[in-house]
Amino acid sequence: MSEAAPGEVTQVAAATSSQDPEVGLAAVAALRGLVEVVEALQVENARAMGWSWQQIAARLGVTKQAVHHKYAGRRFSFHR
Amino acid sequence: MTQRSEQADRVLDLAREEANRFGHRYLGPEHLVLGVLRDGGNGASQILEANGVNLIAARAELRRLAQRGLVPGPRPSDAELLNTLGIDLATIRRATEQAFGHKALGWAVWEATRARRGGVGRVPRTPLRDPPMLIGQVLVHAGQQARALSIGVIGPELLLLGVVKDIRTPWPRCMNNRWRRQLYASVGLPKGYRGAAGPLLGAFGVDLDQHARALLAELGVGVP
Repeated sequence: MSEAAPGEVTQVAAATSSQDPEVGLAAVAALRGLVEVVEALQVENARAMGWSWQQIAARLGVTKQAVHHKYAGRRFSFHR
Repeated sequence: MTQRSEQADRVLDLAREEANRFGHRYLGPEHLVLGVLRDGGNGASQILEANGVNLIAARAELRRLAQRGLVPGPRPSDAELLNTLGIDLATIRRATEQAFGHKALGWAVWEATRARRGGVGRVPRTPLRDPPMLIGQVLVHAGQQARALSIGVIGPELLLLGVVKDIRTPWPRCMNNRWRRQLYASVGLPKGYRGAAGPLLGAFGVDLDQHARALLAELGVGVP
């Protein structure tokens, strides 16, 4: 549904630079949606490869408690 | 679950295109009405047109509903938004799927958006997933009608009957929760949105009872 964007929509996107908060903030929200998914994938992948919470936290730049709290209840296994 | 006919799937595809045309980042019952009309050669569209609802007029009416704030105005797609930051969504989607597989990506999308303590997800939605389909109740009603009438597949007529039933039935209370409100707000829907097919058909003075009877007659169910 997000591919073709005829008529009015492209005009909106073209007419508004990213300095417009309406577009800029929506772009940030879309980016956050992207980051959360990719982070979940990478953390899960690292755990499947035997990485410790400490190692993962160091790469993400957060405490190991933070990353453990966020991802300890995961339910996917990569079966590598 | 009752299967949908090819024609019904085409109606859904056309409804998605119509939503896109209006810059709506969700699929609602109002787009289904447009999808039925655009598909044309089906009994449901003929009944709509007999009531004075044609594609051009219905599009104009939906535009008016957007001006009244019942549905959102045009909004850029996630791909366009990310493009303003120099990010190509298609490339990221392809790379992620290639690296981790479709199943893992599906899990990660669920993990990021599922409701947690407090009733909201980490993010309401993600560009890596298709825009939300807010026609769940329509499909439930269409399926119930199909079973009640012993019809094997759901076609455009049953879809439209589902839309009519959806207009007349209040959405279940379980659908009004923080997670859902967060999702609706993220696509720009106004508070209290319950589908805009009602106001859309109402603008043409469509009598829903008569409409439902005509659809049942079209389905070959004996209604005097």
